[in-house]
Amino acid sequence: MSYALTVDGLTVDFNGFKAVDNFTTTIDTGELRVILGPNGAGKTTLMDLISGKTTSTSGEVKLFGREITRLNEHQIARAGIGRKFQIPSIFRDLSVMQNLEVSASGEPSVFKNLKYSITQEEKQKIEEVIELTDLSDVLKSSAGDLSHGQMQWLELGMLITQDAKVILLDEPTAGMTKQETMKTADIIKKLKGKHTILVVEHDMAFVRDIAERITVMHLGKLLAEGDIDTIEKDEAVREAYLGSGGIH
Amino acid sequence: MVENRSLGQKLDWAVYITFFVVVLCLPLLTDDVFWLNRISKFLVFGLLGLAIALSWGYAGVLNLGQGLFFGLGAYMFAMSLKLKSTTSLQQGSDKPVPDFMVWNAEPGSPTELCCIVPGSWLWLPFQSQTFGMIMAIVLPIVVAFVVGSAIFRLRVSGVYVAIITLALVLLVRLLIIDAQPITNGFNGLTDLGWLELFGIEFDPYMYETYYLVAVSCCLIMLAARWLVSTRAGLILQSTRDDANRSRYLGYDVAAYQIFFFVVSAAIAGFAGMLYVVAAEFASPTFLDISFSISMVVWAAVGGRSSLIGAVIGAVLINSIEASVSETEIFKEAWKLIIGVIFIFVVLLLPRGIAGVARDFARWLEDKHLLSTSKRG
Ligand SMILES: Nc1ncnc2c1ncn2[C@@H]1O[C@H](COP(=O)(O)OP(=O)(O)OP(=O)(O)O)[C@@H](O)[C@H]1O
Ligand SMILES: [Mg+2]
Repeated sequence: MSYALTVDGLTVDFNGFKAVDNFTTTIDTGELRVILGPNGAGKTTLMDLISGKTTSTSGEVKLFGREITRLNEHQIARAGIGRKFQIPSIFRDLSVMQNLEVSASGEPSVFKNLKYSITQEEKQKIEEVIELTDLSDVLKSSAGDLSHGQMQWLELGMLITQDAKVILLDEPTAGMTKQETMKTADIIKKLKGKHTILVVEHDMAFVRDIAERITVMHLGKLLAEGDIDTIEKDEAVREAYLGSGGIH
Repeated sequence: MVENRSLGQKLDWAVYITFFVVVLCLPLLTDDVFWLNRISKFLVFGLLGLAIALSWGYAGVLNLGQGLFFGLGAYMFAMSLKLKSTTSLQQGSDKPVPDFMVWNAEPGSPTELCCIVPGSWLWLPFQSQTFGMIMAIVLPIVVAFVVGSAIFRLRVSGVYVAIITLALVLLVRLLIIDAQPITNGFNGLTDLGWLELFGIEFDPYMYETYYLVAVSCCLIMLAARWLVSTRAGLILQSTRDDANRSRYLGYDVAAYQIFFFVVSAAIAGFAGMLYVVAAEFASPTFLDISFSISMVVWAAVGGRSSLIGAVIGAVLINSIEASVSETEIFKEAWKLIIGVIFIFVVLLLPRGIAGVARDFARWLEDKHLLSTSKRG
């Protein structure tokens, strides 16, 4: 079984409204999958369901064959799923270094964390991430003082030090300048292969740059799946995007 | 670690060391035992400020009912000391019986702890001073664990935690007053005996007692500082900033909150015990809302995100209060003054005195860096 993530018949019912409706897909280990869909398609909700923020009504999620549907958020995280939010979610009052130290601890328990030491392995991971995200000049700054782009990279970096096998990215380039977007694409490309990545994006230039396979969602359902050319030619996709101005 | 020890950190240690030296040398400078006794009480209040800083500053949990744990610790230990009091031995029984129970007893009830008034048997194990000492810590821990588990597992946060803890301290205060036959109600437990440890009797107006309090205070400060600087302490601070982020990094946030809530309660309970040693009474006023709120003010003024800041805030405010209380006009105005100081601090100096000191250290550091880089 080489699937990193298996989503099978996943459904959530918000008082009669199915934000995600019988959604099924499989993602290969090391794959980079882009999820597209008009506003309100259920992309964020899908990530909420996978990461445990929202409890599904039916269906199941498997991580490397292991069922994780009913676990708590922190258990799902320890199982190997890392989540980046649409709005940067970092520890604003802690320094950049401290943010990374928190994310790097391989030890969830309170009592086992009653120590100063940081393992060689953790240290190395942190250094790799600093290099990757180019944050070495701001290690001592409060994370809250970073620029918008740096915050996004820090959050991304924390998922790597966390050692997430599968990374969920919700609109990682939202609010970024063109240059910042390019740098983000670079970071994500470097992660390809090492991590399995699921990314929601609206910016088509960005999507063309990074995408291999694309899944299109509409009204909570899977609308189409395939490489970028297939998706752009797909009639159903064109129609779904008609109201919101089409894919561009 | 990548980070070098900065000037800020050095300053922090310098403050700790200065504080310890001052506190431990104070008795060499004076033979006014009344004054020393007063300072030892302020140091106990310092521990309360520290307990607040731990939960409010580091965990982001504003506990407006910290007096509950202080009160429980104080009552548990005061029960043991009450039974050691000479008055308890003069009630016509060969075993100690608190005087107020005799006054409350139905005519004809036996003058025995087991059955003089309903519920008085609860006092039986407190004939052992060790039992009282253990309970002064264990009871706050157990209560904090139960309350904390309920609050944090349900993900209650912010102002709701403040309301729940406030309601709780009020409730327990009422229960204590209501159980008048075994708690002496409003009057509390007075006429206590002295703590006896390693063959030393701790007369509150002797140097030994001052040192007991001062050394305990210093040790707890060091232990708390160690605790917050461990990775668990760092993870706790992360939950304060963004609990969801911590969760999605794989931490059971509630476990961290409960652990530190319990530690904070244990410190308050221990402070309650020390206070009984120094002040020789326990009373329901320990569970007054105004007292719990005072603790928050001390921590806010000193700096809630600095443990030693909170301790110094508590000692400072209480010292000022004590000295102005000697003048009648100021005594009245004091509550107003402290209210104004609190508002001033919250609005303008959210990190308190410690924050000002840290900013100053950072400013010095920048200046230092600038001058060395010019030279180099
Ligand atoms: N907890 C909830 N209760 C009720 N409805 C919800 C809830 N969460 C999401 N929804 C609804 O589900 C639908 C899908 O929302 P979702 O945020 O997943 O869309 P999205 O694809 O991420 O959109 P966008 O591109 O705008 O981010 C929306 O109509 C939203 O209002
Ligand atoms: Mg969304």
